[in-house]
Amino acid sequence: MVKRILLLLGILSVLCSYSYAQIKVTGKVTDAIDGTPVPYVSVMVKGTSHGTSTDANGIYSLTNVPSTGTLVFTFIGYQPQEVPVNERGEINVVLVQQAVGLDEVMVVAYGTMTKGSYSGSATQLKQENFKDIPVVSFEQAIVGSVPGVQISQKSGQPGSLPEIRIRGFGSFNAGNEPLYVIDGVPVTSGDWGSGNMYTSSMNFLNPGDIETITVLKDAAAASLYGSRASNGVILITTKKGKAGRVVTTFKGNLAVSYFAVDNYPMVSEEEGEMLTREAWTNYGKDNPVFWQSYGSLDNYVNAQTEKYYPSRKPNLIYEDWEKQLFRTAVSQNYELSVSGGSEKSKVFASVAYTDDKGINRIQYLDRLTASMNAEHQMSKRLKVGGSFQFSTQDQSGHQDGQAKDNVFYLWKVHLTPRWPFKYDDGSYWMEYYDGGTRVNPVPQFDLQINDANQLRILLKGWAELQITKDLKIKSIVSHDYLKMHDRFHWLYGHINFTAYGQGFASDRYRMVGRTVSSTIANYNKTIKKHTFAIMAGWEAEKEEFLYTRLAKMDFSNYGATESALATNFESGYTYRSNSNLLSAVSSANYDFDSKYYISGSFRRDGSSRLGPDKRWGNFWSVAASWRLSNENFIKKIKWIDDLRLRGSYGTSGTLPSDLYGYMAVFGYDIYDTAAAGYPSNLANKDLTWEKNNNWNIGLDARIFDRVGLTAEYYKKTTKDLLMNATVPSTTGFGSALTNIGSMENKGVELAVNVDIIKNKEMTLTAGLNWATLHNEVLSLSAEGEQIVSRPHIWKAGYSFVQYYTREYYGVDPQTGNPQYYSNATLPDGTKDRTLVSRSQASSTILEGMTAIPKGFGGFNASFTWKSFSAAFSWAYKYGHYVFDNSVDDIEDDGYNSYKNTSKEQLRRWQQPGDITDVPRRVAGNTQGGYYDSSRALKKGDYLRLKNMTVSYLFPKNITNAIKVSNARIFLSGNNLLTFTGLNFDPEVQSNGYYNFTFPALRTVTIGLEISL
Amino acid sequence: MKNKIKQLILIPLVIFTLGSCQDFLDTRPTNVVVAETAMKTIYDAGVAVNGLYVDMKYQDYYGTLMQLMGDQRGDNIQPRVMSTGWVQIYTFGYESESSSNFEMWKKCYQTIMRCNTLIANIGNLNVTKPADIAKKNDFLGQAHAVRALVFFDLARLYGYPYLKDNGASLGAVLITEILAPSDSKLPRSTVAQTYTQVLADLTTALPLLSKSKNTGHFNYWAAKLLQARVYLYKGEWDNAHNAAKEVIEQSPYTLATRDQYINYWKEVGASETILELFVSAQSNIDDDGGYGSYWHNLWHGSPSAGASLIPTVAWINLIESDPDDIRAQFVRYDSQYDLPKAWLNKFPGNGGVNFRLNNPKLLRLSEAYLIAAEGALKGSAGVTAASNYLDVIRKRANPAVTKLTATDDLIQIERRKEFIGEGHRFFDQMRLGKSITRLDGDGHNFAQSAGCPGTITWDFNKIVLPISHTERQIYPELQQNPGYTE
Repeated sequence: MVKRILLLLGILSVLCSYSYAQIKVTGKVTDAIDGTPVPYVSVMVKGTSHGTSTDANGIYSLTNVPSTGTLVFTFIGYQPQEVPVNERGEINVVLVQQAVGLDEVMVVAYGTMTKGSYSGSATQLKQENFKDIPVVSFEQAIVGSVPGVQISQKSGQPGSLPEIRIRGFGSFNAGNEPLYVIDGVPVTSGDWGSGNMYTSSMNFLNPGDIETITVLKDAAAASLYGSRASNGVILITTKKGKAGRVVTTFKGNLAVSYFAVDNYPMVSEEEGEMLTREAWTNYGKDNPVFWQSYGSLDNYVNAQTEKYYPSRKPNLIYEDWEKQLFRTAVSQNYELSVSGGSEKSKVFASVAYTDDKGINRIQYLDRLTASMNAEHQMSKRLKVGGSFQFSTQDQSGHQDGQAKDNVFYLWKVHLTPRWPFKYDDGSYWMEYYDGGTRVNPVPQFDLQINDANQLRILLKGWAELQITKDLKIKSIVSHDYLKMHDRFHWLYGHINFTAYGQGFASDRYRMVGRTVSSTIANYNKTIKKHTFAIMAGWEAEKEEFLYTRLAKMDFSNYGATESALATNFESGYTYRSNSNLLSAVSSANYDFDSKYYISGSFRRDGSSRLGPDKRWGNFWSVAASWRLSNENFIKKIKWIDDLRLRGSYGTSGTLPSDLYGYMAVFGYDIYDTAAAGYPSNLANKDLTWEKNNNWNIGLDARIFDRVGLTAEYYKKTTKDLLMNATVPSTTGFGSALTNIGSMENKGVELAVNVDIIKNKEMTLTAGLNWATLHNEVLSLSAEGEQIVSRPHIWKAGYSFVQYYTREYYGVDPQTGNPQYYSNATLPDGTKDRTLVSRSQASSTILEGMTAIPKGFGGFNASFTWKSFSAAFSWAYKYGHYVFDNSVDDIEDDGYNSYKNTSKEQLRRWQQPGDITDVPRRVAGNTQGGYYDSSRALKKGDYLRLKNMTVSYLFPKNITNAIKVSNARIFLSGNNLLTFTGLNFDPEVQSNGYYNFTFPALRTVTIGLEISL
Repeated sequence: MKNKIKQLILIPLVIFTLGSCQDFLDTRPTNVVVAETAMKTIYDAGVAVNGLYVDMKYQDYYGTLMQLMGDQRGDNIQPRVMSTGWVQIYTFGYESESSSNFEMWKKCYQTIMRCNTLIANIGNLNVTKPADIAKKNDFLGQAHAVRALVFFDLARLYGYPYLKDNGASLGAVLITEILAPSDSKLPRSTVAQTYTQVLADLTTALPLLSKSKNTGHFNYWAAKLLQARVYLYKGEWDNAHNAAKEVIEQSPYTLATRDQYINYWKEVGASETILELFVSAQSNIDDDGGYGSYWHNLWHGSPSAGASLIPTVAWINLIESDPDDIRAQFVRYDSQYDLPKAWLNKFPGNGGVNFRLNNPKLLRLSEAYLIAAEGALKGSAGVTAASNYLDVIRKRANPAVTKLTATDDLIQIERRKEFIGEGHRFFDQMRLGKSITRLDGDGHNFAQSAGCPGTITWDFNKIVLPISHTERQIYPELQQNPGYTE
């Protein structure tokens, strides 16, 4: 056989040599981005089948090349390149990775496909899209990059949890977070801490180890993950070794951070006193009887002002609280990786260290990661491989929201400029200044422990057997181990320490072990114009949780930090639980002549989280696409490079987050020293998963060899929504896990990429993505039912995040009193629109006010010129409302005179005739901002320069001189610019409710990358 | 080779999909017990009886709110400052639509559900030994007695006083069995019907209950004293007197003496405590040490320890009008702020160790004397009997006082002195159609500026709590109380 080919080649070359001069061409193929050699690039003489491929070092040598011919360089994942020989003997080529294009290889559920043959909706991002953005976890780096996906951080503290919403809200209570799959294995994700600060278990993955991230959005893409796919799936592939020279890369960076925006501008000290005075003066005028004993209103106001906003005392030291609480944080990150191998064995290994500091000194995250990916071709048919990702991290912080230890909340709400910091002898002023709830937080920093140590190991081994040319089987066994240990301690001397005698120490351990085993067979066959790809297999997953808690009280010593040195036992126990899943998966793809594609998938899942009669479910999808650009009538149109239409329909599900929600159980407690038992839930034997029906229609095009376009429309209907539905209190329970109602999400997604400049020296690419979302609750368990979950309401016909509160009208110009619409339901069913005081106003559905944006997305551009490159990405969101819960604290119209005051209050009503929307300030005001109303609803529109990077690749003469193959420096920034009408950070979580979570930071980073 | 490989792949496949798959998917929790197996023995039933009481000690019932509803809405207790300390209770600022509507309702029905579960299931328990049969009867009696207490509290909190309109206003929803959620949306019954249910439950409970001391649990005497209290609220003076008299004369409890009195409040299972609830550090407190602390912690302890409630000047003046009254020792002046504002040191916690760990005392023998006094005075037993009962409590506080002829005012004043912090004052004034006027002239009367009338009588609509607006969205059959937004 081989001989015959050689013979044929020989004849061909002889034939060719008649017409052209034949020369030998050699050269090296390198990657445009990092300059590394690209092995196995196909090098062909155009129009012939004569060619070779590059070796492990990217070097090729080809004889018998026509001196006037053209060489074609192709390799998966790179843009093909044609180079005229022009009688040259050496041709070096720089290949550019394919950013867009339908031949791009995509990682999809249980395999890979080329983009052009994939009918599902998925967006893939590559390492270079986010590699210079300094983030602990990758999610923050892809904000605004994936159409239809909203990403926000739950908190601006280091290591916080991202909130990801792929195509809206799929669920009520079951959770809306996507499933994460790393290198084919579903992994543990989410927050396994105790709620004292947000901590993401996905922090374990060093973003530098990620090769690609694929976000699966529709049923065709995600149905293969069945009962967990409703909220979308995020597939991550990690870096693998490349055959060829061993490449060692070091990367280090240093970052500085501070608040991204000026959150909640406050009144000055003088204005604060003036507003306090005004509130008490008005109060005194309204209630003359109260100041009689003071002799005059002035005396009374002076006394009250001195009490609530006391004057500065000579023996006390006052400081700027912002300076005492916050600092410019300096963070650092170092990564070292090694990649290399031969054709038979390939290895990638990395270690990385991150020291991420928050802007308050109790906020930090220290992380060490190590990873390795290796594979070996055992024999012609058998390939084996294995990998591990290891990480250990220490994270510390404080609670978010209106918690005593949230320094941001304390600073904005409680710590007025008149709050003393120290006595003049240098000791801290530690009195309860505001009536007994808050004290100087600074000395508390060292006396409270609120931290979490997360250890995670993801181990995987696999074997792939090529049974025939077309059939292969791959088995994977993996174990994902997560240990979370969090501590919440009040040490001796902490202001709260006496709450439990002499201090309190609570330690909690959560162990999550997840073993996944799968065996998948793939059969691929091409017969003439027909291509088949069939996949079938099974997967079993065993999740084990172990929870251990120990709490003790009464430290035996000042300075003791652990419960070993605490005297009295408070609480200690352990329990374990299991959640298992057994699945069969299959899919089939067929394409005819690379024009018509049909695919289908089927998965059957059995889950231990549901009762025996309900635990098995089937999930399936069908999809088709038509690659018009491969039809002759389109091929004629020169400016269309690629054109494809696709559509899909399918189902997926969401399991209850409660592992035993279907059972009736008794809970236990202690009464005196004896056990006490009671029914602790309302059982629901019929509990089942949420079911998602998902439509998707899409169009992909590339025109003028410059413009790439993807447009999609989707409609997702969720039935049997899982909810801890409120039940009548007369049942004795607050709620019961129930399948109720249905909800719909639909929208349009659009992504455009334009290669504005594309030549050897310079490239400029710009992209825009835009998505809309319509979310609507279609039905609840009973007709007309409405479920109030302030500040939202759930009701058929309204969005899941529809606001529901009192409707604020404004201020009466004559009296300065706030006015609200009554909105009481009249006998004829209409709403009473007369204006009343706050306490007479009924809450109502505020038509059109929801947290669903009218549109959101991002735009980006990247530019390269010789050795320089620059990129930026903006994120935006508009047309939604956020509920600002600070209003009841800092815009309370005088309710609580101890608190700080927002600048908004300077616009208050002062005298008859004033036209304003801020009412008259009155001490103890119970008619104003303290009580929630539509006044707290603010337009959330924003535009933010999310990321920007500039990098410079050192020229060869420098790198040669310092004996490295590559060197690069980069400068990057996060959240550099923000445009919003809000007076606080606009990146609010998707339900629109903002309640003093720690705001986002602006970070500027400088970094260096060197490859040996 | 090929065959071996096939086996390797097929064997686990078959095992997983056929052999063990049901087992694989049947997992069981280990921190809770599946309900079918939860009450199989008399021991289990005893555990379920403890379950009736264990959550009544939380903040939203006898842990704090029940007492505040009786003292802070009255003229005994007030917030120390305007910003903290359950201000909405003092100002009657609760509303159906704000989170401050104090959902005691929910806690009450949680306890009722537990009673109903026990009543429905204890019959299935097969016991033969006489001791076990007695236990089983006692358990059933406790379930009825607890249910009576909770229905009575619902009537006091959500319905107008019985004597105002002979119980015509709306009271509790009478749920006496386990119902599916869809069958639970019953309308409220009247206060009169609620009282009938309470008395019926007590009638059922009394013959079943043990007469021995059983700290932390209802026994015969606790149920009897509760019955006396219910009759008192209902204006059945002779019945009230007779029930209280039986407790005084026949129960094994004895009054704390003057010497024992201050320390009495630290003691668990003390001589005159007929019913208390156990509070202990081990019991299901929140994980992080107290952001939502569940204990009876508000006015117990000095302000520097976080207490935000203090006795009113009026109460202090009343108790200090007789400096030798042992109860005047409850008033402490060692606060670092607001020096003129004293605080109440009645409840130092179990053993005086930690004021947050304080067993609330729900029923004690002193109350039997004062009920007997009032029942005698207004019923057929007469003023002499009444004076004798009253004198016992007065003399216990100060042996030097001279005996007085009992009047209703004297009895109410004595109740006010004796029961501060135990949740009686407001309910006492209201049940008799009397009024509450806060006289404190020291800047604390912000209740008035917040819209609260200066004088509160049973004609003020807000003497009853609102039904939650949120609850009514899913349960519109539940009628709202007058004057609250729907």
